[in-house]
Amino acid sequence: MKLIETDVLVIGAGPAGSSTAKYAAQNGAKVILMDKKSEIGAPKRCAEGVSKEGLKKLGIEPNSRWVTKELSGVRLVSPNGTDVWLNDDQVKLPEAGYILERKVFDKFMAMDAARAGATIMIKTLARGMRKDNNGYIVSCENMGEDFEIKAKIVVGADGPESRVGRWGGLKTVIKPKNMESGIQFEMAGVEMEDPGCIEFYFGSVAPGGYAWIFPKGDDIANVGLGIVNTVTDKSAYQHLLEFVEKCPATQNAQAVELNIGGDPVGGMVKELVEDNVMIVGDAAGHVNPLTGGGIITALEAGKYAGEVAAQAIKEGDCSKKRLKEYEKICKTEIGDSFHKYFKTKEYMLSLSDEELDSIADAFKDYEFEKISTSELVKLLIKVSPKALLKLGKLF
Amino acid sequence: MIVNEWCMYCGECAGVCPRALIEVRETSLIFNEEGCKDCGICVSVCPINALDKEE
Repeated sequence: MKLIETDVLVIGAGPAGSSTAKYAAQNGAKVILMDKKSEIGAPKRCAEGVSKEGLKKLGIEPNSRWVTKELSGVRLVSPNGTDVWLNDDQVKLPEAGYILERKVFDKFMAMDAARAGATIMIKTLARGMRKDNNGYIVSCENMGEDFEIKAKIVVGADGPESRVGRWGGLKTVIKPKNMESGIQFEMAGVEMEDPGCIEFYFGSVAPGGYAWIFPKGDDIANVGLGIVNTVTDKSAYQHLLEFVEKCPATQNAQAVELNIGGDPVGGMVKELVEDNVMIVGDAAGHVNPLTGGGIITALEAGKYAGEVAAQAIKEGDCSKKRLKEYEKICKTEIGDSFHKYFKTKEYMLSLSDEELDSIADAFKDYEFEKISTSELVKLLIKVSPKALLKLGKLF
Repeated sequence: MIVNEWCMYCGECAGVCPRALIEVRETSLIFNEEGCKDCGICVSVCPINALDKEE
């Protein structure tokens, strides 16, 4: 059987995998980036929101080919329709951002990895792996042909399935209560009150999560929701149909695309490395447990993973001990803040529709100056004694 | 496991399978039925009810 040798094999070419491949290649490693799909970035499993600051921090210049909409604010809607508007003409929004076109963006990121020197294999599936004295041998399949890749480091960037991590001995299985079932229509004819604002809908409309409308320019928007199946008897799809039927913005809207997928919102996986194995992105729980957002953290973690992997290759030491450096950076830069957001999410989900309405009422008349996710939580603590009790020490 | 025709291969079932028995391909799912303990978690998380247990 054909055997290909490489330093680093990255499995999965989403933002996490492409970023890992790019930085590993840029720093001198021989890299293969593999994806099972015939088109990188499609179908999307994502509402496509990113923060401007996040992209800037990573040195990624916004490009008109993949930015569909620059956002000017946020609208938060409580169960009885009370809304809180946060617009950037009145409030500083450090996390304001863009809505992407993921199927273009993801390809862009993979192309960057290719330009840095990575070899890309599409429509190629990793089927399993076995330990070799100096790394792993991964069984692969492309268009009916079986072959093997021998890699000193295998990086699992394979999304919430996270099989690579499990093959490598990491505990990446996701508990059902920590797996958000996401579902979304991309729709035309969406009538938003302000098509520059992203909208969030809270309460029983999406048990265990929230519903969203993310504008993509003109009358187009991603309309979706995430639920946790342990707290509802209905499927995510049923909840979405009900939301679209009732929401004023979607009365005349038509779906042109259906997207689904799991979003791991339990926080970062404890161990991200084993001997010759690393995990990154959704596979590693690099998703903000409160918002469910993970594009920026995936790109960021990919950068750290790629840099550490390349360095480990140079030093000829791909042991767990050496790769731990990556885990430590992720913990400081990403994981620690996730702990707070996880607690906040648990608190939010403990609220009844009535409690959410009364919080929205209190927020409504508040004069905001600057709003970020953490500022919002601080305000929540101010207006809700229950929040103070549960979150006061964290923020 | 019965994988209904409307499955979209999102892989959420594979992520929650406690025994990592589900291989998600671009347009098919392969279950390693031998190791399955019939916990049903994969069936319950599916966003579009595309999985059914075989009776």
